[in-house]
Amino acid sequence: MQAPVLPKPRLDFLNTRPPPNYVAGLGRGATGFTTRSDIGPARAAPDLPDRAAAGGVGGPGAPPAGAGRGRGKGGLEEEEEEAEEKGYDENQKFDEFEGNDVGLFATGEYDEDDKEADAVWESIDKRMDSRRKDRREARLKKEIEKYRASNPKITEQFADLKRKLVTLSTQEWESIPEIGDYSLRNKKKRFESFIPVPDTLLERAKQEQEHVTALDPRSRAANGAETPFGQTPVTDLTAVGEGRGTVLSLKLDRLSDSVSGLTVVDPKGYLTDLKSMKITSDAEISDIKKARLLLKSVIQTNPKHAPGWIAAARLEEVAGKIGAARDFIQRGCEECPKNEDVWLESCRLATPENAKAVLARGVKAIPQSVKLWMQAARLEHDDVAKSRVLRKALEHIPDSVRLWKAVVELADEENARILLNRAVECCPLHVELWLALARLETYENAKRVLNKARETIPTEPTIWITAAKLEEANGNASMVVKIIDRAIRSLQSQGVVIDREAWMKEAEAAERAGSVATCRAIIRSTVGIGVEEEDRKRTWVADADECKKRGSVETARAVYAHALSVFPGKKSVWLKAAQLEKTHGTRESLDLLLKRAVGYCPQAEVLWLMGAKEKWLAGDVPSARAILEEANIAIPNSEEIWLAAFKLEFENHEPERARMLLGKARERGGTERVWMKSAIVERELGNVKEEKQLLEEALKRFPGFHKLWLMLGQLEDRVGNLDKARDVYDRALKYCPNSTPLWLCASHLEEKVGGLSKARAVLTKARLKNPQNPELWLAAIRAEARAGNKKEAEVLMAKALQECPSSGLLWAESIEMAPRQQRKTKSIDALKKCDHDPFVIAAVAKLFWHDRKVDKARSWLNRAVTLAPDVGDFWAQLYKFELQHGTEEQQQEVLKRCSAAEPRHGERWTRVSKAVENAHQPTEAILKKVVVALGKEEGVVASPFFGKAIFDGISQAGDRMYSEILSWGRVLSSTRPGTVLSTVFIFSNHGSVATCATTRGGEEQRDNYRVLDGKSGVRQALSDISQRGKGKAEVVRQESCRTCWRGLQARGLKKLLDFGSTFKFVTMGCFKSKEAAKEPESTTTEAPASEVPREAPAETPAADTPAVVDATVDAAAPAEAAPAEAALPAAAPAT
Amino acid sequence: MSYLLPHLHSGWAVDQAIMAEEERAVVIRFGHDWDETCMQMDEVLASVAETIKNLAVIYLVDITEVPDFNTMYELYDPCTIMFFFRNKHIMIDLGTGNNNKINWALKDKQEFIDIVETVYRGARKGRGVTNSRPDLQF
Repeated sequence: MQAPVLPKPRLDFLNTRPPPNYVAGLGRGATGFTTRSDIGPARAAPDLPDRAAAGGVGGPGAPPAGAGRGRGKGGLEEEEEEAEEKGYDENQKFDEFEGNDVGLFATGEYDEDDKEADAVWESIDKRMDSRRKDRREARLKKEIEKYRASNPKITEQFADLKRKLVTLSTQEWESIPEIGDYSLRNKKKRFESFIPVPDTLLERAKQEQEHVTALDPRSRAANGAETPFGQTPVTDLTAVGEGRGTVLSLKLDRLSDSVSGLTVVDPKGYLTDLKSMKITSDAEISDIKKARLLLKSVIQTNPKHAPGWIAAARLEEVAGKIGAARDFIQRGCEECPKNEDVWLESCRLATPENAKAVLARGVKAIPQSVKLWMQAARLEHDDVAKSRVLRKALEHIPDSVRLWKAVVELADEENARILLNRAVECCPLHVELWLALARLETYENAKRVLNKARETIPTEPTIWITAAKLEEANGNASMVVKIIDRAIRSLQSQGVVIDREAWMKEAEAAERAGSVATCRAIIRSTVGIGVEEEDRKRTWVADADECKKRGSVETARAVYAHALSVFPGKKSVWLKAAQLEKTHGTRESLDLLLKRAVGYCPQAEVLWLMGAKEKWLAGDVPSARAILEEANIAIPNSEEIWLAAFKLEFENHEPERARMLLGKARERGGTERVWMKSAIVERELGNVKEEKQLLEEALKRFPGFHKLWLMLGQLEDRVGNLDKARDVYDRALKYCPNSTPLWLCASHLEEKVGGLSKARAVLTKARLKNPQNPELWLAAIRAEARAGNKKEAEVLMAKALQECPSSGLLWAESIEMAPRQQRKTKSIDALKKCDHDPFVIAAVAKLFWHDRKVDKARSWLNRAVTLAPDVGDFWAQLYKFELQHGTEEQQQEVLKRCSAAEPRHGERWTRVSKAVENAHQPTEAILKKVVVALGKEEGVVASPFFGKAIFDGISQAGDRMYSEILSWGRVLSSTRPGTVLSTVFIFSNHGSVATCATTRGGEEQRDNYRVLDGKSGVRQALSDISQRGKGKAEVVRQESCRTCWRGLQARGLKKLLDFGSTFKFVTMGCFKSKEAAKEPESTTTEAPASEVPREAPAETPAADTPAVVDATVDAAAPAEAAPAEAALPAAAPAT
Repeated sequence: MSYLLPHLHSGWAVDQAIMAEEERAVVIRFGHDWDETCMQMDEVLASVAETIKNLAVIYLVDITEVPDFNTMYELYDPCTIMFFFRNKHIMIDLGTGNNNKINWALKDKQEFIDIVETVYRGARKGRGVTNSRPDLQF
């Protein structure tokens, strides 16, 4: 809180002493005010006694005139002192007459005496003035004359001459020359430009103006209302152009006819100008006229200049005077007969019947012109005539390649060969002719021709390559290599630089032409040229890659082959070559290559494994087995090979062999992986005892390997020895306290056995040992949520997010946990914290999905899948989404992509895929199962399409899945409006199926239900669905709907029907009531489910039914969602 | 709070302070530092001085030490606030009948700031009398 700091010099008045006699307020010309006369007058303040004592300064009462001067009367004494020093007061206005005394009597009155005195003084002045008047005036006159003499006027200067004008006669007056206009304005115009403004410019300017001023600015100023007709200056462009043209032509003639005979104007420049000129409108007629004049002058000046004639002719042609044009060009032909352009132009302008004659004359004039001959040939219509002309031309110009080519093109094969024979004699240096000839000749002759060609042009590689191709085409593959070798040698000896890149290109070209051997030979001989010793491998591999990218597989193969012949022991090269074969080659070629590869590098496991896998994929298990055996001999103690062999056996359902193999591997000192696989085999075979034994033995050797512990724990758990399982986990956690899965399993076990409190303790301990582990946090949160402690779960979640703020897993869960209206903000937070986390993205996608933003949901799910293709959960979500909203193709696409990605992780995914019964299922089947599990988890009812997919899944999974899936499948299928509004199939636990359909006939609306029992019922329901899928309507007869309703109600299926007013997709109902949530467990534990519906009807009074349905049916179609009871009587008369 | 604000100790200083300020208004409190009303006023002045430093500068004048303006500006009240801008006395219509000054202690800071702002704006526009409360204009 400080007073603002002012700059230094402005505040100094605070400290300096005031000047003496300063009157506050008046110093700045301030005036006071009087508002309250009772207090006292403001302006005429009396002297303040203390003030007067201090500085002798009077009060502020000053006369109005002096107020602005900053001087009061009170300061007189001091002032006088000052004035004495200087002689006068600076501040006062100096009066010429009175000097500084103006103030002295300023206040005096002007009375009679003054008046008199003034009069006296005036008379004295007058007298003094008259006394010297004559003298003064004379002096003034003299001064003026003197001034005039020194500065005479112009008129006076010429006065004598002017006077003489009197003697001038009229003729003389007339003959005085006119004075030119020398005003500045005209002076500018005197500058003559020798370069005239091109007419193109004028034209363009005019056109621009036409375009731009669609609305004249002046007319716009007049609000565009009135036509600017009268206002536009009338510019007759035609007249202007004409005038300019005349002037120009005059000037041109004058210039070109100048004394030296040299033209100042460059005629060529004019011609190019004219060429760029194009006629667009009638307005250009003036331009044409001008151009005509110009060209005329060009022709006159230089008649031997052919382009001038051509331009003149073209101008006439453009102007539409074809006759004149012909005339011009004919004269041009006469004037410059040696110019082929003139003749060509003449031919072009001539009438078709005259054209040939013109050309004949032209050819006579210049028989060496190829152009003319070609044109002549073109004029002929049939090939015979054409070739006749061309042959005649060749008589005159035998060494023109163009002519030869034209002739050969026209000739048939036999003639062509003869012609080419002659052609190569005439133009021996032209490779194309040689090659063409070789192509036409028989093998023997072609060889000869090529040899000859080679002799003539020894530096041309294409001849050699053609020769090689020729040999290859005639089956002499061995010759190909020789030829290429010789080619390289001879070319090198001729001093030709072998360009590796160019030769590679040739090789690729050869491959494309189908000459594989040539391609190989070229690569073999040239790929090593110009490459440094140490760069060889890298360069070759790069070359091969390039070739592969360009699609030249054979070339790449040849490069690899060569590389492998140089480096047979290099594993990487072999691998690359194998890759190439795998992608582009056949299975056999790959096989061959791999065999050779393992021959050269027997120590390379990868090659062996690749070979074995290829065999296996081809379905040839025995040879795969053989390969692995061979590999085992070559690399005796390779675990990879052991495991590969095991996998081969295991996957091919040979558990005995697998077990044997693993036993051997164990004997040879296998690692923990071998032991684990052994245990897995036993687990799958169901040999609990063996499994346990193996695991225990393995754990003695490898106590730090947590997977073994996990397996053992799960084994005990499965068998039912929960105490033992707990013991196992305790021991395990001592050895591997950092293994998250171990902790999770232990907590699950505790939750199962000892309730939440123990599980909680385990998880807390786990978190202590492994801080910042989101999975442990998640497990704890879920455990609380499962136990119904929603508050506790939320608190944990908050803590978890504090500890792991960037964990997508936790964020995703927190989005799910949040109440619906808060999810959006939660998801935004989550995206801010971890933008590219697939879990968050999937959670957001789910939000969109629930909001029916199909496109967005799809793109987000796809994002999640691309970010984490290894997580199966996302694939399952995407598939489920496509089942609901996508087309058939999209579903297939997802399936394909998923199986290509081979997901291994994901919570739900592993739960399904690691289950013993799913061990050997393909990815697709697992995906479908996960989708089913997902649906069960969410208690979401399927749409018709989803239902169909489920049934696909069932038929694959077999009967065992029936009860599991059908118990919760509700399929709504819908058909054309006006018949069946919707049909609901409800599958009960014991396989019975209820269908209910709402129909509408005319005005009334009925609900029909039917309970179908047993397996046959299911089948019927399925066929119903498939029919409905095709759009057939079927009214199911109403039977005992009441039992059906009650059965449903007992199950807690609160929301039964969702009669959307559109029938394509029926809104999905949610069964997630308390009973419903518990239901799946009861089905999996295979409780006698048939009891449930039997009990239920007794419990639920019939009167309740409508109320329940009413409360839960969507508001979208309340009228249609008629409760069962209400619908019954309506249905009754129909039946 | 008067110690936080600059004092002017002579009539000359007052005149200089009023004339030297070219861009801002000059707010002068005439009165005595020991006076109760002035103390209240000073409290407000000192607290807003920084806030309004772009609009106005505040000075305090002891009317016993500098009696030059007592008659001229009728300084008979215990506390008087006057506004100047470029050597011009700015009057404010406060609805009291006396447009020349504020002769009571304002206890509301915001009110004072508003008044200063009104004065400043009015003065910048060249108005001799500014209306601090538009609702009072009849």
